[in-house]
Amino acid sequence: MAVTPEFFEQLERFGVAKTFECFNCGTCAAICPLVYEHFPRKLIRYAQLGALDRILENPKELWRCLHCGLCTQTCPREANPGELILGLRRFVVDRWRRSQHV
Amino acid sequence: MFNPRDIIELIAHNVKKSRNPFGVPRMILNRWWWRTPLEKKGDSILFTGLMYQSLPIIAKTTDQLAAFEDSPRARYIRLARYMPGALAGLGAALLTGRKERRQSDQILKNIATLLQKSGVRFAYRPDLDHYSGILLYDLGDQETFVEHARYVAGQLKHAGIRRLITVDPHTTYALRELYPKVTGHRFEVRAYFELLNATGGNGQRKVALHDPCFYGRYLELSDIPNRLLNGFNIECVPVKNSANFTHCCGGPAESISPKLSHAVVMRRFKELQATGAPIVAMCPICLGNLKKVGADVEDLSMILARCA
Repeated sequence: MAVTPEFFEQLERFGVAKTFECFNCGTCAAICPLVYEHFPRKLIRYAQLGALDRILENPKELWRCLHCGLCTQTCPREANPGELILGLRRFVVDRWRRSQHV
Repeated sequence: MFNPRDIIELIAHNVKKSRNPFGVPRMILNRWWWRTPLEKKGDSILFTGLMYQSLPIIAKTTDQLAAFEDSPRARYIRLARYMPGALAGLGAALLTGRKERRQSDQILKNIATLLQKSGVRFAYRPDLDHYSGILLYDLGDQETFVEHARYVAGQLKHAGIRRLITVDPHTTYALRELYPKVTGHRFEVRAYFELLNATGGNGQRKVALHDPCFYGRYLELSDIPNRLLNGFNIECVPVKNSANFTHCCGGPAESISPKLSHAVVMRRFKELQATGAPIVAMCPICLGNLKKVGADVEDLSMILARCA
């Protein structure tokens, strides 16, 4: 798995200010109405590691999020997991659009 | 699940062409105000954001999407953006029933009447009443959302508008929280029920009030409708997961995955159903999604209009 340690800097451009606040406790995954494969905890971990391949190999997963805000409401670190997922969506949309112009 | 890219590009295309997510011409979509006596001048306006008007179209289009989700035909959704806007609008008009359109329009008429009865001075300017762009924001298309928000806010500023009275949680959140950040323009944004002061009547019943995520959690406004209903002698029975901890209706997923949306709304429906009371919604998305699964649900404005 290739990692891009400075990925958090790219995410800042998409409104994500707290990539590293999350300590992966899993409260977000427990409260999420999707109850789906450690969502959103797993994707947040990938973002922290800069595991772009893992995020981009199945980007559709990001759009499962309902943006309901329960994870953000309950996060003990105030890491704003919902906003991180939204930032990842913005990142992917931007990447799709830029790839169209190559 | 559809390819989000196809859905996002379709919605972005429609918003750029017609300023609403369905590509429907405004004169077809926004007709509730016809033959309704409303003030046309003023710096305080009713701003519907076209969400309730879109409810019959949302119901029809998500039914269509559900029919071929995860099928080989799903990939043809990307071709929809090549359909001319006027044709799409005509199609939408033919697909939606008159009864459904009348019900949605009635909600907006009720809200206007409730505001008038509460002595709130406001005008309605159909030329300024635009979709907020919130779906673009939710789907992560920040670029198109910002472009659209700047257009809408610019029109409002140019017209000298100071206060916006909103009718749904998505538009309220967009205008109150997001527009100042992305457009630099700030308006006084009030949800319509924040301005109502009517009490009395004889409700004498119990209801299960479903808090939408944006009112319950993001804007923390759910105590106000609760208080309003109590003022009419209507008891809001306790609902599992309310206010800050309200449960999503699944609506935000309906454009990408009707199946996922259905699974989520069924869970919420069971929580509301367990109260044994009729359900009251205050968001067009929640209302439509709960209706789809057969819930006994009506909009907050309908019950308030009967009591006021």
